[in-house]
Amino acid sequence: MKRLATVVGLSALLGFAFAAEKVQITFWHAFGGGRTAFIQRAVEDFNYTHPGIEVKVEYKGSYRDTLNAAILAAKQGNAPHIVQIFEVGSQLALDSGIFVPIENYVPADLKFQLDDYIKPVANYYRIGGKFNSIPWNSSNPILYYNKDIFKKAGLDPENPPKTFNEVAQACEKIIASKAAPKCITWPLHSWFVEQWIAEQGALLANNENGRAARATNVYIDSEAMKRIMKWWKGLYDKGYYTYTGKPEDWDGANQLFVSQQAAMEITSTSDVTFMQNASFENGFELGTGFLPVPDGVERNGTVVGGASLWLTKGHPQEEQEAALTFLLWFTNTENMVRWHKGTGYFPVLNTSVKVLEWQNWFERNPAYRAAFDQLLQSKANRATQGALIGPFPEIRTIIENMVQEIFQGKDIAKALSEADAQADQALKRYNASVKK
Amino acid sequence: MDTHAAYKSRWLPWVLLLPSFVILILFLYYPTIETFVLSLYQVAFLGLSKSFVGIENYKILFTDPEYLQIFKNTVVFAFFVVVFSMAVGLALSVLANQKVSGWRIYRLLLIWPYALSPAVVIFLFMFNPQSGIVNYLLTITLGIAPDWLTNPTLAMGLLVFVAVWKNVGYNVVFYIAGLQNLPGEVLEAALIDGATPWQRFWRVTFPLLSPMTFFLLIINTIYAFFEAFPFVDLLTKGGPSNATNILIFNIYRDGFEYYKTGMAAAQSVILFIAVVFLTILQFRVGEGRVHYGG
Repeated sequence: MKRLATVVGLSALLGFAFAAEKVQITFWHAFGGGRTAFIQRAVEDFNYTHPGIEVKVEYKGSYRDTLNAAILAAKQGNAPHIVQIFEVGSQLALDSGIFVPIENYVPADLKFQLDDYIKPVANYYRIGGKFNSIPWNSSNPILYYNKDIFKKAGLDPENPPKTFNEVAQACEKIIASKAAPKCITWPLHSWFVEQWIAEQGALLANNENGRAARATNVYIDSEAMKRIMKWWKGLYDKGYYTYTGKPEDWDGANQLFVSQQAAMEITSTSDVTFMQNASFENGFELGTGFLPVPDGVERNGTVVGGASLWLTKGHPQEEQEAALTFLLWFTNTENMVRWHKGTGYFPVLNTSVKVLEWQNWFERNPAYRAAFDQLLQSKANRATQGALIGPFPEIRTIIENMVQEIFQGKDIAKALSEADAQADQALKRYNASVKK
Repeated sequence: MDTHAAYKSRWLPWVLLLPSFVILILFLYYPTIETFVLSLYQVAFLGLSKSFVGIENYKILFTDPEYLQIFKNTVVFAFFVVVFSMAVGLALSVLANQKVSGWRIYRLLLIWPYALSPAVVIFLFMFNPQSGIVNYLLTITLGIAPDWLTNPTLAMGLLVFVAVWKNVGYNVVFYIAGLQNLPGEVLEAALIDGATPWQRFWRVTFPLLSPMTFFLLIINTIYAFFEAFPFVDLLTKGGPSNATNILIFNIYRDGFEYYKTGMAAAQSVILFIAVVFLTILQFRVGEGRVHYGG
């Protein structure tokens, strides 16, 4: 008995000693479902090829849950090394002060990877000229449409609407011909509004979208916003636009489109793979096109949405280095190609795009093409760079409430000015709370 | 007689109570006090930085039209949920208390919803304006297809419906238990005196059930105020434009989505005071009217 205990004790000690040789890294992300397994496999590959490092990956719920969990863990001095944070949380993450500006720590021989990011992505995540985090999953909105319904309505199935008016005209035909009960859907989400503002070259906040200095004024009461709301309200009143009634209901909008209740859907490019499978299962032909923009306005392009990976403060140097090694490996050319094929998220490196082109990937998979071309054709300016606003999550709700009020019949000008005042108030309170 | 006779030492009772105190202080009193304190601060990032602002948070709450709207919604929601879930619960238990064939199955089915998880996503599919079964049936029978979640009144109605549906089972369990324990001779006497079923119910059964009704009133009030979060979060997210935003949902939102911990704490305090006040009121008013028999 005694001997057994000694053996157990010794082997436990050995186990510790062995484990201590490996640097343990924790990585928290917000991807459930099939993507969890996808990430897990990549991490296993890394652990296998890097015997000195062991990365432990954990799914922490939604973007917000993940950020909350990271802040709380940091407060208790127990932060994970790597955290995935959604794009509109960037300012918040900066203000929280629990992360390190990553670019300062990238070793010189790997700096080339930071210069490899495609321009729109670099534009979004370079804050004050520096990467504070490593861009990972990136997407923007495109138009998905049902080619069979288009044919039934007498529309050209190879020529989806490109402007607001063209959408309205196509809808008129689709509804009049009874090709589908509703014409178009997208989640009632502020993200689309933000994209349409950027497409018009307009800003969402002062100080150059909060990029030149901290934003102190949110621009909701603007001409650009008025254009969007007028069009959206018109589609809603005529029964062309439909949504489930619940704000931010991504799945609900997909359900409406996939079940062929609506002929078109505007949603994220990260759903390309899902849409292809779903259209096949439901027996219709899928088309994709650029995000429709207001008429008579030059197309500026879209803002990169998605998330990036942040490194937390306060770890021993060897752990920080190991975490960085993993981060740069995880987002390298090969892994970005894999990630794109598996999900539809953009291959965010120029070299991974080259690999995909060399493989004729976009020719063989045309649905991915629109998504990618739209991103590459975006102009690099303050509008398409996207706004940095601390209380962005709250401002999104304010915009979504405003849209619903407009649907209920509130005067657009009045709704806009009220929402503008509310957003400014929220921003003022936030800014006051971060000034220490 | 010495009151300490049962214990050998004066300290023993305190030692025995210690585990309970530790748990109460750690998980009940400390968070409550901390909430009161936090409500006086402007807190950023879940407490990473904070500054004292006095009653500023409360001032905002009582002057901001959005918050006033949320208070109003909460009162409307709680009122209808309590009234309907108790009335329906009582009516169903009276029916289920009849000795008809298959009564076991009826009772089981009535209690069922209570045992389900509050994640009632199914309603989202059922009440989908385009592809939901409810509008499908309404279209072929009545030719209407209401937008359940885009109309403020309908959205609130749906939310009340789901909250009632979920809690009726609980009330049924207690009311059936109450009905089974009624003294048979009183009802028999009423029957012999020629009271109609209606009279028997309102003059005999209902008053005899009053302790149960009183208990359920308090439990249902607490339910309506504190446990409706998942329904709002899953069905409406407080929309359309705050029409279904109630306090408990807004506390979560301010606290964990917008990082306004101080504001969330202030709302928690208000909710706490409101429910304590209601409970005391119910005891004051109820005590005199409840018939405990005996």
